[in-house]
Amino acid sequence: MDLSNTVVLSRMQFALTAIFHMLWPVLTTGMGIYLVIVEGMWLKTRNPDYYLHARFWSKLYVLNFGIGVASGIPMEFQFGTNWAPFAEATGDFFGSILGFEASMAFMLEAGFLGIMLFGWERVHPVIHYFATIMVAFGANLSIFWILSANSWLQTPAGGEMVNGKFVVHDYFQAILNPFMAKSVLHMFFATLETSLFVIGGISAWYILKNRHQAFFSKSLKIALAAAVAVAPIQIYMGHLSAEQVYHYQPTKLAAMEARWETIPAGESGDWTVIALPNEKAQKNDWEIAIPKALGYILEFKPKLSEPVLGLKEWKPEDRPHMVGLIYYAFRIMSGIGFFLATLMLWSVLQWLRGKLGAENITQQRWLLRTWMFAAPLGYIAIEAGWIVRCVGRQPWTVYGQIRTVDAASHVPASNVLTSLTSFAVVYTILFISAMYFGSRIIRIGPNLNLPIPGIEDETAVDTTPAEFVPDQRPVEAQQ
Amino acid sequence: MEALEHFLPQVWFVILALFLFLYVMLDGFDLGVGILSLTSDDDDRRGILMTSLGNVWDANETWLVLMGGALFGAFPLAYGTILSALYIPIMGMVFGLIFRAVAFEFREHSNRKYFWNLAFGAGSFLASLGQGFALGSVLAGISVDEAGHFIGTTWDWLNWKSILVALTLIQGYVLIGSTYLIMKTDGELQTTHNRTAKIATLTTLIGAILITISTPVFYENTRSRLFHQPEIYIFALIPILGILLIWQLFRSLQRQEERAPFIWTILIFLLSFIGLGLIVFPYIIPTQITIYQAAASSSALVFMIIFIGFLIPIMLFYNVYQYIVFRGKVTEGHYGG
Repeated sequence: MDLSNTVVLSRMQFALTAIFHMLWPVLTTGMGIYLVIVEGMWLKTRNPDYYLHARFWSKLYVLNFGIGVASGIPMEFQFGTNWAPFAEATGDFFGSILGFEASMAFMLEAGFLGIMLFGWERVHPVIHYFATIMVAFGANLSIFWILSANSWLQTPAGGEMVNGKFVVHDYFQAILNPFMAKSVLHMFFATLETSLFVIGGISAWYILKNRHQAFFSKSLKIALAAAVAVAPIQIYMGHLSAEQVYHYQPTKLAAMEARWETIPAGESGDWTVIALPNEKAQKNDWEIAIPKALGYILEFKPKLSEPVLGLKEWKPEDRPHMVGLIYYAFRIMSGIGFFLATLMLWSVLQWLRGKLGAENITQQRWLLRTWMFAAPLGYIAIEAGWIVRCVGRQPWTVYGQIRTVDAASHVPASNVLTSLTSFAVVYTILFISAMYFGSRIIRIGPNLNLPIPGIEDETAVDTTPAEFVPDQRPVEAQQ
Repeated sequence: MEALEHFLPQVWFVILALFLFLYVMLDGFDLGVGILSLTSDDDDRRGILMTSLGNVWDANETWLVLMGGALFGAFPLAYGTILSALYIPIMGMVFGLIFRAVAFEFREHSNRKYFWNLAFGAGSFLASLGQGFALGSVLAGISVDEAGHFIGTTWDWLNWKSILVALTLIQGYVLIGSTYLIMKTDGELQTTHNRTAKIATLTTLIGAILITISTPVFYENTRSRLFHQPEIYIFALIPILGILLIWQLFRSLQRQEERAPFIWTILIFLLSFIGLGLIVFPYIIPTQITIYQAAASSSALVFMIIFIGFLIPIMLFYNVYQYIVFRGKVTEGHYGG
């Protein structure tokens, strides 16, 4: 690590801020959808539980949103402060996309968030629901734009480099670059899955603690019902993403698999489960491999139809470094994906056997503990995935077009070292504070005595029909 | 085609000016309230100050994010050059904004609010200071080579001209923050901020006069532009109008009006902004790089207008709607959901 090298320091700073920033929008994008679901169920059924769920989880939402904004602003400005030559070369496309993200997505989320959080008593329920939908929609639209921009860095399309500047010929081709669709979906399901397991994990904690079991078995089941679809789809999306890496970014695939020698087309390759890559010797010091498995993993057939290139195909300066990091980050990510799917299957099985009812759910101690254990795993998988994606892209900032060394600003290393150190300190404070205040919100728990909008008697929540939508059903049916 | 290449950068110059103005106006009062919170001595008061912003601060700050993205897209050269030249003030602003933003969330949940009070106030001050230095040094000039790349040194941004602009901007933020609080609060708090508004009017005025005098005296390039017929009439009109507006503002403060001071302040901001815009145009890095040199390709500018342009009225609409929903006085210091 060279602390007098601006490029190295700028990379570290970008990686640090990105890794920290990532932690918070994950929950706001995924949980946004969850909030739309529970508020919709509240409007439909008028069961106060759903309203209280919306209020409780939105507390965690806003905590995450605030830190997400705070930690995200440096990301945008770093393109200018630390990566000025990159900004100049790619402004036509990359800058436009950041502008779209701000104007279409982020502004929508920020503009309606106030109404979603504080507008319960001030606007009509339908307008409130609209605001909630806009917040969730805005957050998820951010995924689209950010992932479109990042995918373009992986597979730059829609134009060409002219005199060191990327000239766009076709914007739609650039936005819809080869990596875009699958990357957006992979990230969308990643945030959703992570949020579902966070909500499920926190709910499991309450149930284990014998606090509001009935209330939280409801959120656990909503999370579970959604995860039934999401967890397997995400594994499939992950497979599709790996497949596109195989086709478009052979250097990254070689690093993900710690593969040094090329396997020619028509042959079958071993797949290593664990390995110890040695960059100096250009080989793995040792490995555990499953013979002939690589073809099945990449193409669902024994023999490869295309060659899998080994790292030795490229000169050392043209291939990603930190092969071990990329290799293990990839394994951690996929391992977590399978683990969460297994947990989901196990839970569904218990649900079908009638073991998750409000009266007997507390007996499922191991299942609930596993859900708690699973709560942070999505985050780890996402961070690992982004390490694979962006460290694996090196030495390129724009794959095959602009090298990272040429993309960095010529600012004094001491400036970057100072800002990097400050970021490290400040983000650590943020992280600890967020954990502290987040767990505090959880410890305090939901306020079940909140007045229910539209119901005049504040204490007897289940008696009076709602003001806005008169409920004609018998009292029992309203529960 | 020639006309288009002239016209599009101008359109984007105006759009960016609009974004920047909306940001300075909206986050200006946010930051001003933050700075004023440093003078508040009890927690209930600070709670009310923060509640008055609780539901709007993130939308207000988004205009900065939008401005950054649009500048990056429309004038990539200027984006890279200005930001790398102003590394320290920009990072200062970023850290200030971080502290301020998280203080909103953490203070509400915290039992020991002291640290987060400080983070909110000092963060607001630091962010304003960073912005002031950035604005000041862009106006004072950035050294670039013929390709438009920054060739100066780390501390170029720090000089008496940028200090003057930075201090004036902070005064301006305190002024708009005070008049916002006059509108949003009542009782003792309102009286206090009527007083801070009067002080800030005076200090802002002094700063503005110094800037107005020093600009033609110390900047040769600007001087020749300012004293050129017929522009001189426009440039002479701006300080006169400015004095008029400040007089109106002061009178409305004397009469203890509730909303008028805020509106007069906005008009003063708008006027200063138009003045700055006229002085800067057609440069984006004054007297070095014009908007035409720094602009992205025409196709990019058109593409961005199609996507962002039609959203501007929609964004304005729902932002205004949000202010309508939360209109009225703030009396309570709790904003948690």
